[in-house]
Amino acid sequence: MSGTPAVTLQIDGQGLQVAAGTTVLRAAEQMGIVIPRYCYHPAFEPEGSCRMCLVEIEGLPKLDLACSTVVREGMKVWTSTPKVLQARKDVLEFFLADHPLDCPICDKAGECWLQNYYDQHGRYASRFLEFKEKKGKKVPIGKKLILDRERCILCTRCVRFLRRVTKTGELGVFERGVKAEIGIDGGADIRNNYSGNLVDICPVGAITDGDFRFKTRVWFLKNGRSVCPRCSRGCNIVIQSVRGYPLPGRQRKIYRFLPAENPEVNGFWICDFGRYGYHDIEDNRATAIAVNRGGPAAGRGADWDGILKGLAAELGAMAGAGAMSRVAVVLNSFLTNEELAACRKIFVEALGIQKIFFADPKPGEGDGSLLTADRAPNGRGAAALGYTARVPDLEGLAGSTDLLIIFGPHLMDHSAADAAAAALGGVKKKYLFTAHVSGLDSAVDVVLPTSLPAEKRGSFTNVDGIKQFFECAVAPLRGSLPESEILARLAAGLGVTLG
Amino acid sequence: MTDAKATLIPPGENSFRLGAYLGRGGYEAARTTILTKKPQDVLEEVKKANLRGRGGAGFPAGSKWAFVPQADDRPKYLCVNADEGEPGTFKDRAIMARDPHLLLEGIILACYAVGIRTAFIYIRGEYEAIARRLEEAIEEARQKGFLGPDIFGSAFALDVLVHRGAGSYICGEETALLESLEGKRGWPRLKPPFPASVGLFRGPTVINNVETIANLPLIFRYGADWFVGRGLPRDGGTRLFGVSGAVKKPGLYELPVGTPLRKIIYDWAGGPAEGQAIKAVVPGGLSAPFLTPDEIDVPMDYESLAHIKSMLGSAGIIVIGDRTPIIDILKIVARFYAHESCGQCTPCRIGTAWISKIADRMGAGGGVPGDIDSIRHLAEGMKGRTLCPMGDAAAFPVLSIVDKFGQELAEMISR
Repeated sequence: MSGTPAVTLQIDGQGLQVAAGTTVLRAAEQMGIVIPRYCYHPAFEPEGSCRMCLVEIEGLPKLDLACSTVVREGMKVWTSTPKVLQARKDVLEFFLADHPLDCPICDKAGECWLQNYYDQHGRYASRFLEFKEKKGKKVPIGKKLILDRERCILCTRCVRFLRRVTKTGELGVFERGVKAEIGIDGGADIRNNYSGNLVDICPVGAITDGDFRFKTRVWFLKNGRSVCPRCSRGCNIVIQSVRGYPLPGRQRKIYRFLPAENPEVNGFWICDFGRYGYHDIEDNRATAIAVNRGGPAAGRGADWDGILKGLAAELGAMAGAGAMSRVAVVLNSFLTNEELAACRKIFVEALGIQKIFFADPKPGEGDGSLLTADRAPNGRGAAALGYTARVPDLEGLAGSTDLLIIFGPHLMDHSAADAAAAALGGVKKKYLFTAHVSGLDSAVDVVLPTSLPAEKRGSFTNVDGIKQFFECAVAPLRGSLPESEILARLAAGLGVTLG
Repeated sequence: MTDAKATLIPPGENSFRLGAYLGRGGYEAARTTILTKKPQDVLEEVKKANLRGRGGAGFPAGSKWAFVPQADDRPKYLCVNADEGEPGTFKDRAIMARDPHLLLEGIILACYAVGIRTAFIYIRGEYEAIARRLEEAIEEARQKGFLGPDIFGSAFALDVLVHRGAGSYICGEETALLESLEGKRGWPRLKPPFPASVGLFRGPTVINNVETIANLPLIFRYGADWFVGRGLPRDGGTRLFGVSGAVKKPGLYELPVGTPLRKIIYDWAGGPAEGQAIKAVVPGGLSAPFLTPDEIDVPMDYESLAHIKSMLGSAGIIVIGDRTPIIDILKIVARFYAHESCGQCTPCRIGTAWISKIADRMGAGGGVPGDIDSIRHLAEGMKGRTLCPMGDAAAFPVLSIVDKFGQELAEMISR
């Protein structure tokens, strides 16, 4: 509020001070009073069309919009007088009169603002005796999105999102009156990288996501907050998953990513590339320790403890023999700051390994908005910890390296698969810690399954240098270990204190 | 004050021609005003004349102009609202067809007063021939130096453009008109900001009805005092009363503001049609609450009609005879607003259609006892709660029908 003059007003008899220019709706929110709304979204200018947020302002003959009315000195606002409550009830009655009420087969059920507000503000007996308007119920509007025009309440959030946020304008309103409906404006359907946000901002079940449709009911979903790992933006996300009921046994399933609001990083949105990255948590996972070709690990039994103790012993022995120049470690920028710091302590400071490399996915294209070209989340964190992200020269490693410890599946992204496999053949022992199966697996001696960022806690430093901590958002895949745990056990085996 | 030239609708087949207009003293008021008066004085004169808007709301024209910020370097605009869509209203078309130069001279005066260089006439799409006539008149005026640069040899310049609408009632609502003029879907804008500060192409904008603007040359030809003397002190001039429906002589009558409704119907429109008695009267376009026969002694001015909870509106008088079942009227009224609702805000989008469905069902013999209450409830749910005045426009006539003719509706349901 510094710099902006303050305005004093009363809401429901309680005085408060807010910055000049604040709307009644926002001022009420500061007091913890939530005025119901459909068309209003904090990302856009007030639209004023749903008429749900009408409140009583003393001295005015009619109810006025909370979303667009700016506070004035001495204003007295009442948010739940009989007149206001009746107006809300009436708006709900209007909406629901022409609504198909197909909640039992609607994906939005459970998080639908028609349901929520009917419960809070409706509760009238229906007097609708007429026929309902028939409209398209599964209209594809681009990418994975399906539009149900009967459920639509014409809040136009989708239209405004596409005009003001992506500036692509694929949707518009057609026809008028009760026949008015959302449609594709100008021929080309939705193709932008932010389409999934339309599903989130649709307050009802009008826009649903083909990826999520009919997969589950939202009340089974558990929320976990995390940071999207698919580029260096570090968008805040909510990961929605189910563990156990209604899935059999203790099965785990990830259903979707939703954006979590963070004005400093991603605002209200996430990109589709990141959103549909939730499949990464389930697809192509390395699920168990795999020992190839009867290498040295095979003799020790394929369990985490045995392998990590063995690896620590090998490293210890090589350190004792002064052979650290024959050890190489390949890290990646999906590791958290904490893991990268532990790597530094163990591999650089304690063991004195010089050959530290990075293998990340090849850069993609940024979209000029949230998605950056860098396809890993923590490059900036790695740099801040003093690492230089150099890709190893595999031919150079062959012959000069006896032990290669690889984190992540991206080593072969940077060279031809055959040549890389041949080069790795020249390295005696190779350990691969990876969450995903890849062509690299067959070229190493042991593959050890790790957890993904969604399954662990730590921090990433994003493209703008903002360090973001996150907790474990979903239960780790059974059999996998987070790198932090792997590094802690290695450190223990080596007698290194991580602190 | 019975100057034959002092009329909005001159007689004669060729009254629309520039020569005929000049013969009536046309463009002299604008010439004298621009060459001898300051814009501020023009504004004061209009305020003095108590010229109230002829479009429906009756807002004083001078006050409306005064809202336009003068110290502002954005281009300012005048939009003449010629989207005459209110059922029962057919006055603006007569002015534009019979006396287009009167409108143009009015535009010159208004623009001079407010400092506007570009004016638009937004005319309803159906008035195609009239739009052509306006364009011809604009061309005639331009040739004579009454429009374009250096008008009457002064430094004042003005262009007038005609824009045809595409046939939507809501585009007569001033902010929907602006959207439509900008090439967008004709949806009303959320106010504030008001058009006087953020209007057409985001510039300060004055929107006036055709008849309002057409009165200006008369005010400057004969003076504000003369104008006030023609009507009422707080509501100056004449009105073009369009009488339609069950009368012997339907037509357009220019009479002083404040003329009693009964006098208009009986003395001018010849009284109710043969063999009929008056059942109801709409005094000011379909959006005005219906009056019963015992209410028609009301003087036709804004305040007198507001006093009996109706509206002067566009002064379109519709007389309904006693042979017409009120359910037919309710059906037509409801269907009109349901068809013309733009669909933007909830109460109007759903409410108008819902009421129309109930009325149709009642009309088809399927009425149930709760229907009248439902209609009243739905209309109350629209009244004062919509984004633009259309919610009121739809609710008022419906409420007046169920309030004043509920007995007939109830009898019909019970049959």
